[in-house]
Amino acid sequence: MTTIDNTSLQAPALGGDNYLTHTRGFLSWALTLDHKRIGVLYLVSVLTCFLLGGVFALLVRTQLIIPDGLILNQDEYNQAFTIHGGVMVFLVILPGIPAALGNFVLPIMLGAKDVAFPRLNLFSYWLWVTGAVLLVISIFAGLDTGWTFYTPYSIDHNSAMGGVIPAVSGAFILGFAGIFTGMNFIVTIHRLRPDGMNWFRMPLFLWSIYATAVIQVLATPVLGITLALLAVERAFGIGIFNPALGGDPVLYQHFFWFYSHPAVYIMILPAMGVISEVIAVHSHRHIFGYHFIAWSSIAIAIFSFLVWGHHMFTSGQSPLMNVIFSFITFSVGIPSAVKVFNWLATMYKGAISWNTTMLWGMGFIFLFMIGGLTGMYLGTIATDIHLHDTYFVVAHFHYTMMGSALVGFIAGLHHWWPKITGKMFNENAGRLAFVLFMIGYNMTFFPQFMLGSHGMPRRYATYPADAGFQMYNVISTYGSYLMAISFFVMAGYFISSIFKGHRAAANPWGGRSLEWQCASPPPHDNFSEQPAVGDCYDFSVLRWDEATHGYVWREDVEHPGHDVEHA
Amino acid sequence: MFGLLATTKLGEATSGGGFWMPENASTTGSAVDDVFYFINNINYFFFILVIVILVVFAIKYHVKPSAHVNFASDAPTHNTPLELTWTTIPLLIVGVLFWLGMDGYLHLADPPDNAYPVSVTAQKWSWTFEHAEYGVTESAELTVPLGQPVRLLMTTPDVLHSLYIPAFRVKQDVVPGRYTSLWFEATKPGQYRLYCTEYCGKDHSKMLAVVTVLPEEEFQKHLGKLAREYEDIADKDLPVYALTRLYNRCASCHSLDGKSGTGPSFKGLLERTKSGTTVFTDGSTLKDKMGPGGEFEVPENYLRDSILNPQHYIVQNYAGTMPTFKGQLKQRQIDALVLMLKNHDKLVDAQGNPIEAPNLDDADISMGAGK
Repeated sequence: MTTIDNTSLQAPALGGDNYLTHTRGFLSWALTLDHKRIGVLYLVSVLTCFLLGGVFALLVRTQLIIPDGLILNQDEYNQAFTIHGGVMVFLVILPGIPAALGNFVLPIMLGAKDVAFPRLNLFSYWLWVTGAVLLVISIFAGLDTGWTFYTPYSIDHNSAMGGVIPAVSGAFILGFAGIFTGMNFIVTIHRLRPDGMNWFRMPLFLWSIYATAVIQVLATPVLGITLALLAVERAFGIGIFNPALGGDPVLYQHFFWFYSHPAVYIMILPAMGVISEVIAVHSHRHIFGYHFIAWSSIAIAIFSFLVWGHHMFTSGQSPLMNVIFSFITFSVGIPSAVKVFNWLATMYKGAISWNTTMLWGMGFIFLFMIGGLTGMYLGTIATDIHLHDTYFVVAHFHYTMMGSALVGFIAGLHHWWPKITGKMFNENAGRLAFVLFMIGYNMTFFPQFMLGSHGMPRRYATYPADAGFQMYNVISTYGSYLMAISFFVMAGYFISSIFKGHRAAANPWGGRSLEWQCASPPPHDNFSEQPAVGDCYDFSVLRWDEATHGYVWREDVEHPGHDVEHA
Repeated sequence: MFGLLATTKLGEATSGGGFWMPENASTTGSAVDDVFYFINNINYFFFILVIVILVVFAIKYHVKPSAHVNFASDAPTHNTPLELTWTTIPLLIVGVLFWLGMDGYLHLADPPDNAYPVSVTAQKWSWTFEHAEYGVTESAELTVPLGQPVRLLMTTPDVLHSLYIPAFRVKQDVVPGRYTSLWFEATKPGQYRLYCTEYCGKDHSKMLAVVTVLPEEEFQKHLGKLAREYEDIADKDLPVYALTRLYNRCASCHSLDGKSGTGPSFKGLLERTKSGTTVFTDGSTLKDKMGPGGEFEVPENYLRDSILNPQHYIVQNYAGTMPTFKGQLKQRQIDALVLMLKNHDKLVDAQGNPIEAPNLDDADISMGAGK
C-alpha cells in the first residue's frame, strides 16, 4: 500500500490562506467570482430578508390575537401579509438552499474550483439584489395584492393602489437571477464532475439541485412572461386579463400556477436533497435506496409541471379538468413518500448522533409528514372544496414551505456551517433552539388546521367574535412568539461561533462527499488538484480522530485516488 | 327581525360540530365529512407508523457524540422488492382517495333540475341575493328554504370573490365577466355563516353574510313579507327601515360616527351636501353644480346620483371605489336612504350606534312621495 496524500484531509495551519482571507476589502467581496463568497453573499442577503419577512409574520399574528384585530387597520394588514408572503417566497425560500448553500457546496462536492460560469454567477447575484430592492420598494408603495398578484384585483387601479409594477418587475428580475443560477448549475454538473463520479455516484444533494435547476430554467420564463403581461395590462390595458376589456382573469391563474406549482418543488426538492445528506452522514450509514431517491427527484420535477390546476378547484374551471388535475396531483405524492421511507431505512442499523443537525433532519421528517399528509385532503376534490382558501391551506403550505423547505435550509446551514465559517457552533444551544422551534412551530401552525376546517378564510384582517376562531388564533400567535425566540437563540449561537467557536476540522461530522475532504473553511481554489471519488455514502473508510476532533481516512483503507491513478 | 342583529344570534350554529369539522347542515356535506374522516384514518395510521419508526430508530441506534462510531457495513444499502412495495402501496391508497374525491365532487358539480334559483352579486365588499320568484333582494342575509335544493348563480362587476358556507361544505369563486354557480340543500333550520374566501381588498374580512334556513311554509311567508316590505312600511318608518335593512350594504365604507372610511362618513353628509362645501377630485365644489339651473336642482338629487352613478363625481381624498346600485335599489328604497341621512342624528348616537327606540315624531319625512 502506498502512502496516502493526506494533505487535502487536514485543516491548514492557523492563519493559513482560505477563501475568507484570500483577499480583503469591500470590492473583493462585491465583485468576487468565487462561488463560496457569492454563496456567503446570498446567505447574508437571504437571512436579512428572513428577518424582514419574519417581522411582518409577527405583525400578522399579533393582529389576529383578537377578533377585531389588535394593531393594524384593514389596509395595513393586507400589506403586511403581502410583504410577508412575497419576501418569504421570492427572497427567502426560493434562493435559500439553491443560491446560498448550493452555490457554496455544489462546486466543492464536484471537486471543482468553481461553477462553470463564475461571471454569470456574480451577475445573477446582483440581478437578485436588484429584484429584491424593487420588491422591497413596493412595500413602501403600498402593495396589497398578496404574493400571488391575482387579476383583476392587481390590474384594477381602484383596488390595488400601488406597488404592483415595481413588485412584478422585481419578481421578473429575480426570475432571471434564478434562471441564470439554474443554467450555471446544470452546466456545472454536466461538465465538471471529477474522474470516477458518474451520475449515480453524485451526492443526492446534487441530484436534487439538478432537478431544481431544470424546473427553474423551464418554468421561470412562464412567470416572467405572465408578470410582464400583468404589468402591461395594468399600465396600458391591453385586455388579456381584464374582463372589462374582453380578457380572462382566470387565465392569469393558469399562467401563474403553471410556474408557481413547480416553484413549490424548487423550494422543497433542494431541502429533500439536504435531508438525504444530513440523515446519511449523521446516521453514519450508507444511504438506503440511492437510485430510488435520485429518480424520485426527477419524477417530482416532471410531475410538478402537470398539477397546477389543483390550485384552481373552486375557480370555475371545468369539472373534467378538476378531475384530471386531482388524479395527477396524487401521483406527485408517491415520490415524496418513497423518500421518507428511504430516509427511515437509512437510519436502520445506523450510528445516529443526536446533534443539532440530525435533530433538524429528524424534525424535517416529522413536519414533512404532516405537511405531505394534509395535502391529501386538498388533492381530494370533495374535501378541497370545503378547505380551499381557508386556514387549513395556510397551515398545509406552512408545514411544507416553512416546516419542510425552510427547516431543510436550517438543517443544511448547520450541516455546512463548520465548512462555511471554519467554526463549530455550540451544540447545547443548538438543541435548545431546535426544541423551542418545534414547540413554537407546531403551536403556531397546527391549530390553523382546525381554524380552517371550521371555516376561517385566509387573508382576514378580522374575524367574527362568536365563530369559535379566537382560541386557535391565540395559541397560534403565542406559538409564533416562541418560534421567534428560537430564531434569536439560533442567531446568537451562530454569531458567537464566528468569534468564539472551536476551530472546525475538515470533516467534523464524518461525511464522505468531497466538500469534507477539503479544509474548513476551504482554500480559495478548493482543491490543489482534482480529487478522485468513490462511493460518497460508504463511511466505513473513515475513523474518528480525537486530536483534530474530526473524521479522517482510515490508515488501513486505500484512498480511491489511487484506484484512478493506477487504473 | 333586523338583519343587523342576525349576526349576534349565530352562537348555536357555530358551536356545533366536532374537533375537525363544524356542524354539517346540508345533504352533500356528510359525504364530504365521510371522505375527510376516511383520509384522517389513513393519515393517522401512516403518521404514527413513520414517527414511531423514526423515534425507535433514533433511540435504538443512538450513539454518544464523538464516541467510537460503528460504521455498519452489514446494513443493506438497497432492497428493490421492499422499495417497490412502499412505492406501490401508497399508489393504491391515493388511487382510492382520488376516486372518492371525484365521486363526491361530481355530485356537487351537478345541480338538481328542481333547484330554487337565487342570483348572487358579489361587490366590494357586500353580497346581494336576488329572489327572482318573489322580486326580493336581500343583502346581509340570504334566506333559503329547508329541504329543497338551492342553486346560486353568481357574478361580480369588480374583482374575484368566493362564496363559502362552511356548514354546507360548499365554495365557489365568483368571477367578473362570467357566471359561476353552486348548489346545496339545507337539512337543518337555523342560521349559518357565509364568507368571502377570495381576497378582494381592504374589507375582504368584513364581506360576510348569514344564511337563514326556514321551513318551506315560513320561507314563503318571510319572502312574501320582504317583497312588500318597503311598500307596506309607513313613510315615517322609512328612516329606520333604511338603517336596519339597507345600511349594511354601505356599512363597510361609510361610517355613522364621522370617521372617514373607504368613503365619507354618513354623519353630517346632508349638511355638507346642503351647504355645498364638498370638493371633488377635479377641484370643483358641489356648490357650483347645485341650485336652480344647476346639475342638481335640489340636494337630494346629488345623493341619488351618488348612489346610482357613484363614479360621476368623486369626493376629494377618496379613491372612488364605490359600485353602482342601479337596478338593485327601488325608488322607494333610495327615498328611504335619503331620509335616513336627513334624520341621521335622531337614529344614531354620537358614537354611531343605532338608538334603540329612536324618537321620530318630528322626523323629516319630506320625501315619501316616491311610492
